[in-house]
Amino acid sequence: MNPTLILVLSAVILGLPTAGFLVNALTLGRLPRRLVAWMGPGVVLAAFAATVVTLISMLSRPATDRGITIVFWHWLNASVASGSGVSAQAGFNANFSVRIDPLSVLMMLVITGIGGLIHVYSVGYMAHDRGFNRFFAYMNLFITSMLLLVMSNTLVFLIIGWAMVAFASYALIAFWYDRPSAVVAGRKAFVTQVIGDVGLVLGAFLIFLNLRGPAGNLLHTVNMQTIFANVGPGAHFHNGLGAYGAGLVTAIGILLFLGAAAKSAQWPLHTWLPDAMEGPTPVSALIHAATMVTAGVYLVARFHPIYQQAPVAAAVVACVGIGTALMAGIIGCTQYDIKRVIAYSTMSQIGLMIFAVGIGAYSAGMFQFFTHACFKALLFLAAGNVIHSLHDDQDVRLMGGLSRRMKWTYWSFAIGALALSGIPIFAGFFSKEELLGNGLALGPAVPWLWVIGVSVNVLTSFYIFRVVWLAFRGEPRSEHAERAHEAPPLMLIPVMILAGLATVVGFLNIDFAGFAPVTVFSAFLQPVLGSPHSQASAAIAGLALLAGVVLSLLGVGLVWAVYERGLIARDLISKRAAWLYRLSFNKFYWDEIYDVALVRPTVALATTVRGLIEPNLIDGAVTGIREVVGTLADDFRTFQTGYLKDYALVFFFFAVVGLVVLGLRLS
Amino acid sequence: MTGLFPGFLILSAGLFSVGAVGVLVRRNPLVVFMSIELMLNAANLALITFARYTQTMAGQVFALFVIAVAASEVVVGLALITGVYRSGRRLDLDELSEMSE
Repeated sequence: MNPTLILVLSAVILGLPTAGFLVNALTLGRLPRRLVAWMGPGVVLAAFAATVVTLISMLSRPATDRGITIVFWHWLNASVASGSGVSAQAGFNANFSVRIDPLSVLMMLVITGIGGLIHVYSVGYMAHDRGFNRFFAYMNLFITSMLLLVMSNTLVFLIIGWAMVAFASYALIAFWYDRPSAVVAGRKAFVTQVIGDVGLVLGAFLIFLNLRGPAGNLLHTVNMQTIFANVGPGAHFHNGLGAYGAGLVTAIGILLFLGAAAKSAQWPLHTWLPDAMEGPTPVSALIHAATMVTAGVYLVARFHPIYQQAPVAAAVVACVGIGTALMAGIIGCTQYDIKRVIAYSTMSQIGLMIFAVGIGAYSAGMFQFFTHACFKALLFLAAGNVIHSLHDDQDVRLMGGLSRRMKWTYWSFAIGALALSGIPIFAGFFSKEELLGNGLALGPAVPWLWVIGVSVNVLTSFYIFRVVWLAFRGEPRSEHAERAHEAPPLMLIPVMILAGLATVVGFLNIDFAGFAPVTVFSAFLQPVLGSPHSQASAAIAGLALLAGVVLSLLGVGLVWAVYERGLIARDLISKRAAWLYRLSFNKFYWDEIYDVALVRPTVALATTVRGLIEPNLIDGAVTGIREVVGTLADDFRTFQTGYLKDYALVFFFFAVVGLVVLGLRLS
Repeated sequence: MTGLFPGFLILSAGLFSVGAVGVLVRRNPLVVFMSIELMLNAANLALITFARYTQTMAGQVFALFVIAVAASEVVVGLALITGVYRSGRRLDLDELSEMSE
């Protein structure tokens, strides 16, 4: 690839959203709305265009030549002179450099493409909001941070982007700062993110301190390409991370995953995601569907050379992912807030992606990320249309019968639901079957995880079609629902574009062994992520495919039986297995557990410190010092009489003493 | 000749002590002033004694400087004392203490 062209393109991709943010933020909301309505989405769509040009330029090259590192400037260069001069590899050298390769370009396409559509949608959704300009400033900042995260070639800028994403998401969740619940939700999200940041930073430190080069020398590098090139087992026993045994690399893998879990809302750092639905709906679509929550998947996929060295850490990743997928699926079945159902669905789907990257099916995980970004953004934006026309009612019990009044939104939401459930020909079908097919083929312990993963399909299609039935079918159950109206074109067009994407993007990769394989997607990522270790045999893949589809249809059938025909009583579970219902309805009590285990002890500690330690120990020390100094000053002040002869007397007295001492010493 | 040096030095020390006690105990500024002159001249005596003893000029030159400085000091000091007297106040050092408060 032409380095100059790529340099210019990546400067445009990173620079435009940054400029949009700065202009919007520094004018303090004084820009006219019409200008912001063009500029906010404009910079992101322009960045998308530049990304497409990058992609075309990349596709014109052979597969082996699709990775390029662009150094923008040298920063914190502390390279040490070694033997025959300054070595660029040895020594600390945190360049501001970006890595353009298939993986980062895929992420950039989704961030700027889906992000751009969500920006356009926001122009309609936020049209009457006081903080219109502030909203677009935050949105552009979020896009910038996310791009920095995926494009960075050094750990330093990866971490900077990682933390900026956390800040931007905090600002967007707490966007309506006069709602206490939104502010609390934003704070919760930020604190959780910081826990993850600590894990990521510690993992990065461990890599930085311990990674050895081919000659066994410590590299002390933050350049990710150098790290990945040296992390594997080599000819020399002491290179990579091998000299410290499996413990170190496992620790690194788990620490990095702590960061990934916080971003991707995986257990045990998942509780912020449902609360984050307090933000405006486009924010939910942008952050909690298409981009931010998939940063964890990206991180594990990007650092896959480390996870390949750390089977224990990878197993932890896979188990946490599949566990979260199951738990979130169960919770989603009983929630009534339309956005929360979709949020738990996100958590569940990301759990599947994390499972995929944990078992080594990196390409399948990224494909699920790609299709998920399309259909989940679609679901959120369609839900946003519903919420908008119902004057901010989010409870599905107050909806009903919307399909007649919001025909376009209904069909778009239905397409999203079909794609999410993995019904054939829609995008989710191909990605999910590839993911679960790989899950069955890889590793000895994996079949059990696969069983869990495939049963999540029932839950997925049940909870999402439950929303379709409750919200769109039946009779209106509130005044607002009776007077619902279709969304304006500005909000409908992005939804319909996404509906189109959710239908067709699945065809980029058809991975059923032996059955007309199309590998556009996995072949594209192959230079970065490599090929899966093993391929499922045709029989197993066919079995997985059949099981997945049957279970998905079973979920839809259950919804039909319960909510359409009433063949099964709605309160069957809540009556017969009340404990299960309560567990699900109360989200497995994680908020309560954290409240008892973490929040209350912290508050109690703070109260104790405030009540006992601060007034006595800290204030006591401060006032004590003041009193000692004051007393001493009062005492010494009496020496200063103001009479010259007193001073002269002291002077002469000590002059005589000095002379006597001098005389004694001389004699 | 050398035998006389201790005598000159003892005289110098004695004069200096008399001057120092005068500065410390008297309250009349004029007397304090004279005591200071006494101390300066005691120092001059010591300087000249050592100059003679070492057969060098430095001590004598130094003494000349001290005399010159003492003369200008007298001018300033007497002018201050006259000024205080003209303002109609008692010439008592313990009572002239407004500046210290």
